Amino acid sequence: MEETDLIVRRIKNGTVIDHIDGGKGLQVLDALEINAEKGDVITIALNVPSGKLKKKDIIKVENKFLEQDDTNKLAVISPSATVNIIKNYQLVEKRHVSLPNEIERIFRCSNPECVTNSKEHIESVMDVIDKDGLVLKCRYCSRMLDVNQLRYS
Amino acid sequence: MNEFYKKNIISVRNLDKQKLELIFDATDKIIDMSQDKRREIARGKTLGYLFFEPSTRTRLSFESAIALLGGTSLGIADATSSSIHKGETLGDTVKVISSYCDVLVLRHSLDGSSRFAAEISNKPVINAGSGTEEHPTQTIQDLYTIKKEKKKIDGLKIGIAGDLKYGRTVYSLLYGLRNYDVDLHLISPESLRIRSDSTYDIKKELSYTESSNIDEYIEDLDVLYVTRIQKERFPDEEEYAKVKGSYVIGSDMVKKMKDDAIILHPLPRIDEISADVDNTKQAKYFEQAEYGKYTRAALLGLILNENGF
Repeated sequence: MEETDLIVRRIKNGTVIDHIDGGKGLQVLDALEINAEKGDVITIALNVPSGKLKKKDIIKVENKFLEQDDTNKLAVISPSATVNIIKNYQLVEKRHVSLPNEIERIFRCSNPECVTNSKEHIESVMDVIDKDGLVLKCRYCSRMLDVNQLRYS
Repeated sequence: MNEFYKKNIISVRNLDKQKLELIFDATDKIIDMSQDKRREIARGKTLGYLFFEPSTRTRLSFESAIALLGGTSLGIADATSSSIHKGETLGDTVKVISSYCDVLVLRHSLDGSSRFAAEISNKPVINAGSGTEEHPTQTIQDLYTIKKEKKKIDGLKIGIAGDLKYGRTVYSLLYGLRNYDVDLHLISPESLRIRSDSTYDIKKELSYTESSNIDEYIEDLDVLYVTRIQKERFPDEEEYAKVKGSYVIGSDMVKKMKDDAIILHPLPRIDEISADVDNTKQAKYFEQAEYGKYTRAALLGLILNENGF
């Protein structure tokens, strides 16, 4: 049995997000709007030793099956993450994340003078213009945005 | 159907050479037309305008353009004196005013404001200046002026000097020039160089040098485009004071220029071009302002008429 199995217990139904870059797990929760309000069990392990990455985070969300759109958001935060859909203790689907062509709502534009940061009721939309270099462009003000400096909506 | 019919004009990024040339041809046509014929182009049509930032010439240029075409205009010239001042959102204002007109012209201090307005307006929106982002109709006017005065745009050596960081006319002009084969030099104080996060996607199509020294280029330029230092965009007075008056084009400097070079400025100017330059043959900024009326009239004519004019 691997060390990680001891830390994070198996789930019957739900989603396991594995191989998240160490320390990015809480950002993932924010971005995917995973919260405890519905009462489902959420297990989070941060900075777990891993062979593939030096340290990884793991999130297990019981009774919630992430959609493809949700998992794509992960690609911005941690491109190495994998999403495992579990049904009745069985792995029924394994997804590697990939960047979508556009990202809605997750981030706020870092340009303070952008109309999306005003009192207007606008949800941010960013086009992914370079998937390898993680370059986003605000669809409103057209500024190029550095993913690492973006704040969540 | 002409391709501008009921279309928004938000960014010069969306205007390729063919589209720009179509507007220039339409402008030539407007200039050559009889007054009676022009007045048929927008008869019964209304231009609405919303200026959330002070403007004199752009607004008057649009008003004179629609009048030239036989249309009328209405709008808010000073947003501080209206319901906007009471807290109404841009979205609500745009919805209401767009229902009173056939085309809406918007100036606003926020980047992306026109794109947002175009999403919620049921009439075409023309961006008349959005923050430090863009000012597309100014660029149409600038390029048309170069074409008229120099008979071409391709092959010219062009210098853009002044506040390149905050000047929205500069970004639109760069997006426009990317369609042409020009030798481009950007001249500004170090702290006012263009923002790389706004030019990243045109770098493959447009090469340019950046320098702080105007003397390096002045003798060889075909076009010198001068911009005002945008005091209102500076975070503080101290920063503004450091660069104020960085470049002043005086008649002495103009003497070094080619005889057939032209000097342009989007206006208003403060002190970047001395008054003694106005009478030199290179000074073309007042002609440029006049061309603006015709280029805007051409654009309005195309947006308002399915089959052009």
